[in-house]
Amino acid sequence: MIPNSQKINITITPETDKMIVFESVYLKQKNKDIFLNFNLVVQKNEKILIQGKSGIGKTTLFKLVLGFEKMDQGSVTFNGYPIDKVHIKEIREQVFYLSQDIDLKKDKVGLLLDEILTCNPKRTIKDSSLTNLMSFLDLNPEILEQNVKALSGGERQRVGLLICFLLDRPVWLLDEPTSALDDAMKKKIAAYVLDQDKTIIIISHDDVWKKNGPIKIERWL
Amino acid sequence: MGARDLGVLSLVSLLLFLIPVFYINRRLKLSINKTMITSIVRMCVQLSFVGVYLEFLFKFNSPVLNTGYLLIMISIACQSILRSSNLKVRTLFIPVFFSLLIPAAIILLFFNAMVVRIDNLFEAKYLIPIGGMLLGNCLRSIIIGLNTFYSGIRKDEKVYLYSISLLGSRIAALKPYFKESFLGAITPTIASMATIGLVSLPGMMTGQILGGSIPIVAIKYQIAIMLSIFYTEYFSTILSVLFSLKVGFNDMDVLNQDIFISKD
Repeated sequence: MIPNSQKINITITPETDKMIVFESVYLKQKNKDIFLNFNLVVQKNEKILIQGKSGIGKTTLFKLVLGFEKMDQGSVTFNGYPIDKVHIKEIREQVFYLSQDIDLKKDKVGLLLDEILTCNPKRTIKDSSLTNLMSFLDLNPEILEQNVKALSGGERQRVGLLICFLLDRPVWLLDEPTSALDDAMKKKIAAYVLDQDKTIIIISHDDVWKKNGPIKIERWL
Repeated sequence: MGARDLGVLSLVSLLLFLIPVFYINRRLKLSINKTMITSIVRMCVQLSFVGVYLEFLFKFNSPVLNTGYLLIMISIACQSILRSSNLKVRTLFIPVFFSLLIPAAIILLFFNAMVVRIDNLFEAKYLIPIGGMLLGNCLRSIIIGLNTFYSGIRKDEKVYLYSISLLGSRIAALKPYFKESFLGAITPTIASMATIGLVSLPGMMTGQILGGSIPIVAIKYQIAIMLSIFYTEYFSTILSVLFSLKVGFNDMDVLNQDIFISKD
């Protein structure tokens, strides 16, 4: 349950266009109130860090934006458009979502990347940017030949981020993007992500996000 | 020339072999005696009824009655398919009904018109037994198709949703599940076409030979029916998945949990 009054805003970025707006959202799951009159405005290119204990509905927030979850009452808009049947495809094409377990299909990493990139034809990716990003993320080229199910947690997370950077969508929803990475990599990723001209919401328990750039913090109690 | 009629007593004599079956079941504690008896009784009762209906249908040989009987067969097949696939009859009856009706009707009429070349396309003697063979075989393939498709996505829902978010399209995200379920549904028929005649002599052929046809005629019919079964299965399995998508998923492409009979 997250009543609006329990949120503490620490830093506030200057007012710009509204990218995602949650307005009086009510959602009940298995007789438990997840959102009770929840409100949040995410400005264009704003970076928001959401912190709070598990089971409180942080991931559900992302699922509402992607249309994977339906609220009982209230409204969520994306770039001014309601999240509905008519707009959902376009909205999904603009949002990159990194799920907590990086639920990729059990396929070879290289094949998956090919499929994802063919399905997103607006992005033409140069081979050099793939190589650069892979070396930035400390991923060996051999990983392209490996099956997703053979990857370690950290490798999966970095493959997920690789897809994120390659797709280059305007909005990023990152659910625990650095939980399985070592400190040096966490720092590198946080600095890179916060430097992007993107609207980014991050759910994370890692303090590294606060230390690496301007970010608005939403603390859910 | 036809097959010799069987006396009721001679038919009953076949039940003699149930004695050792019961004995072994008991010794091995298989506890299937009850199910076995129910199945045998059901078979006898159902077939006796069919015998009466068919006698009636063959006598009148009315296109309307024959078509009506076929539609009832399709309805029963639909219910049986959905129950075996753990899917609710109420929500999915109509899509599955049409996915059976359309290919079966086209193939059946083509079979009668172009292959057997009979004048009355709705001739009971052809329409009903051939229709029954097509439907009976589709039953199995649609069950495998629908069951693998929906239970696959249900089990893998997070991966499916994540695919939608990455690929941006429901069709692309559904493709691997469709592929798996479709191959599972039609591979057995392809395999049985490859071994037919080597391992088993098909029931239809046996029936025709007993009924007095010469083997070469029986074999021609068998080839025609195998192809017809394969085409009907192929298209009805594809259509059953395709037509069910509208109720199977909500307008945000999320799997509709209400289509399943059991909760898990």
